[in-house]
Amino acid sequence: MDFLGFLITQCLNALSQASVLLFLACGLTLIFGIMRIINFAHGAIFMLGAYVGHTIVVLTGQFWLALIAAPLVVAGIGALFEMFLLSRLYARRDGGAYLMITFGLAIVLSEAVRLIWGAQPKGIDLPEVLTGVVFLLDQPFPIYRLFLIGLGVSASIALWQFLERTRTGLLIRAVSQNPEMVHALGTDIRIVRTGVFALGCGLAAFGGILATPLFGAYLAMGNNVVVDAFVIVIIGGMGSFLGSVIGSIMVGFVQVFGAYYFPSMALSLLYLLMLTVLIVRPGGLLGKEE
Amino acid sequence: MRARGLFILVIAAAAAAGFGMPHLLPGYLVNILTEALIFGLFAMSLDLMIGYTRLESFGHAAAYGLGAYASALLLLSFDIPMLIVIPMAAIITGVVAMPIAWVCTRSTGISFAMLTLAFAQLFYASVYQFKDFSGGSDGIAGIARRAGPFGIDFFQTKIGYFYLVLIILILSFLFCRSLVASPFGQVLAGIRENEVKTRTLGYNTRAYRMVIVVLAYAFGGLAGALYAPLAGFASPELFFWRMSGMVLIMVIIGGRGTLVGPILGGAVFLFLEHELSALPMVRELWPLIFGSIFIAVILFAPQGLWGLFRSWREKRRIGVVSKPQSDAPHAAS
Repeated sequence: MDFLGFLITQCLNALSQASVLLFLACGLTLIFGIMRIINFAHGAIFMLGAYVGHTIVVLTGQFWLALIAAPLVVAGIGALFEMFLLSRLYARRDGGAYLMITFGLAIVLSEAVRLIWGAQPKGIDLPEVLTGVVFLLDQPFPIYRLFLIGLGVSASIALWQFLERTRTGLLIRAVSQNPEMVHALGTDIRIVRTGVFALGCGLAAFGGILATPLFGAYLAMGNNVVVDAFVIVIIGGMGSFLGSVIGSIMVGFVQVFGAYYFPSMALSLLYLLMLTVLIVRPGGLLGKEE
Repeated sequence: MRARGLFILVIAAAAAAGFGMPHLLPGYLVNILTEALIFGLFAMSLDLMIGYTRLESFGHAAAYGLGAYASALLLLSFDIPMLIVIPMAAIITGVVAMPIAWVCTRSTGISFAMLTLAFAQLFYASVYQFKDFSGGSDGIAGIARRAGPFGIDFFQTKIGYFYLVLIILILSFLFCRSLVASPFGQVLAGIRENEVKTRTLGYNTRAYRMVIVVLAYAFGGLAGALYAPLAGFASPELFFWRMSGMVLIMVIIGGRGTLVGPILGGAVFLFLEHELSALPMVRELWPLIFGSIFIAVILFAPQGLWGLFRSWREKRRIGVVSKPQSDAPHAAS
């Protein structure tokens, strides 16, 4: 087999894997960076996005509509959760309480999904444009995975520009540094917090729909993927946007190449990578130590 | 005086319930009760970290799994009596926990939670990796309760094993209770309330945190070591993060920093789950209900159900409305 072609295919596989993880990890790191909340429900929200997306595709037959509408629906649910439950905990200043209430949300959401959609895995049919393969150096490669890479790259640039260049982005970064001061200067930080939490949930849901054509929507998908997202965010540095982009790419490569070269060790490699990073730099690659 | 009265009450109730009940119940229920007590012990071990030192571990499944696999492998590979294997497994877990404690205590708060999670997941992955040794996803089956030494074999029956677990639970509780009331425990409480201040007073707080992590793992390992011979089986799921999350929930619902609360929380949860699974309507909804209860407890009773009970008693005793409870739980009961 042509080694160069194989290498390119594997690299592209890794990058497309990284793209899906990126949406998940960005949501997680955004919520942590601004609100100091570890969202343990992130995997369940990812899964919810996949199932809502599935339903929209079944009802309307529109993949593109699902891609936009499902994250919005899930972001709305996230906003409600933040407004009515999470916001009651801010006064306590106890990081553990966030961890636990979002774990509770994870349980409730996954059970609700099981009750609503049942235990059968669901799929999403792709529109014609995204099906089929292209040939790169005589190696077939699915168009959908190329689409994922493109989406991942453009979304990270868009998010980065949003955080760095827009007024809202400035406000969000200001809240992450000193919420009291932002509040005193006349911005209602409750709205910023709700918005950020909703945005994070929407990003995770987006990742969930994107993952469904590859792996299907199934009940354990959230449980399996949430730890990957944590690994990424911890490697990159909690709250660092660029860090989670780098972390996603690293994890994507470790997963794809690990599964090929050391299939029995693939899972351990991920955690070994994370532990190594944490021992060398306890705050992650681009993070500050808490 | 009050604490002593309560303490005697609890022990008496546990003993009375323990020594009377098994003979009145069908065999399968005895096994469930035994498992409930083991889970209570597991939750109590985590309380040492969460409730007394504010080290929020999200990877305590590592301790349970290590204990279970250690006792399973020792029982299957060597001709050692079970009564010796169980403490050995607990000690092995404690020894394995030493480097873990060293790494994890480099940080606190969320990083600590994530590091403990990373170790638990690493063990989970390792079980799949070293299949020849650990049985991979099949787990280890056929674990027998080997008799001895001196021909002691009362624990080979269901009821006998229940008593063994009950005795170990009571002894562990007494040990942990005196530990948290000791000068050592007071330093832990100092770390929980204000680590910087405690360090300024001259205590090497990191060493204290390391010791309590190792102890908590050892007791968690003890619970796991008791579980494997009961189930006759050890599976990789024992290491999975869901297990860590569940036991954390038990500690919080029961009441962190109370030891009794987590024991009751863990035991009652497991018992309820088994019982309610028998009812088809409830079985479907149980995790949903349980998740909602958990959220409600965090929102409205952060000190847990046992903490709620205790502050209610306090109010009644004093006869006035006490000032609002802070989120931090009390140190000694």
